[in-house]
Amino acid sequence: MEEYNAGGEGSFNSEEADVIVKECIESVVGADDYSQSQVNKWTASIVERCLTQLVKQGKPYKYIVTCAVMQKTGAGLHTANSCYWDTAMDGSSTVRWENRTMYCVVSVFAVAVA
Amino acid sequence: MSDLLKSQKREKRTGKVPAEGNHGVRGKETTGRTKDSISTVSYLDELAHHDDNARMVITTENTYQMGPYKRIPVPAVTDILKDVLTSYLQEEKYEVEWSQKMTKTICEVIRARVKDLMIPRYKIVVLVHIGQLTGQSMQVSSRCLWDASNDTFASYSFKNRYLFGLATVYAVYFE
Repeated sequence: MEEYNAGGEGSFNSEEADVIVKECIESVVGADDYSQSQVNKWTASIVERCLTQLVKQGKPYKYIVTCAVMQKTGAGLHTANSCYWDTAMDGSSTVRWENRTMYCVVSVFAVAVA
Repeated sequence: MSDLLKSQKREKRTGKVPAEGNHGVRGKETTGRTKDSISTVSYLDELAHHDDNARMVITTENTYQMGPYKRIPVPAVTDILKDVLTSYLQEEKYEVEWSQKMTKTICEVIRARVKDLMIPRYKIVVLVHIGQLTGQSMQVSSRCLWDASNDTFASYSFKNRYLFGLATVYAVYFE
């Protein structure tokens, strides 16, 4: 049985992913201030929630979701990524979120299967 | 926060092409009232290695290959990360412009060296963080939905008196 893949649907929809990720972040840490004891739990639940929401879309992708949470002290942070993949089908999206006491950077990489 | 435009130039291109992204978080003093939460979207930088002829879809025959013949050697990749981070960041101070360029450079270097290992059929994602050490607290975590028997990752973190560097490589098998 052949899988017919129309050209337009092939690539990763990063806008949709942005919306999903933003919702997940707000639901986990939306109203909280930075807390060392809880940050471990937060990063784990942001990442798991994003992953489950992305999987619910039912697309044939493998996902890598990364989350970095940093306390706001005026320190600088730089992040870069470099990927070796098929640009027609694979894609990534990064969402930066902040509130009064912390920064949160979530990256999603979607790699097509077969 | 600096506002970055999202460039939507997604041409349909087959074949493996390197792509890069750079996201900087500028540290500002938070005085008085700041907005409650802001969300911004990344700026994607595509390196133009493509040739415009490659619009044709490449169809390949069945290989009947059930799994990868050669797996990613995780200790070798960790050594690469350790080597690159130490050589580029040893005794360096944190500066904004320099760090921006350095994260991108380190990313490219790591990707090139992992490609040189010549492990076929693996897609590579490299993630680098460089940050200033000012006594702040930070947590980085990730989750992956993949085939645990074939796909893997490696990571290494480096620290000196002024800055820290964290590099992670994810390798995903393509059937």
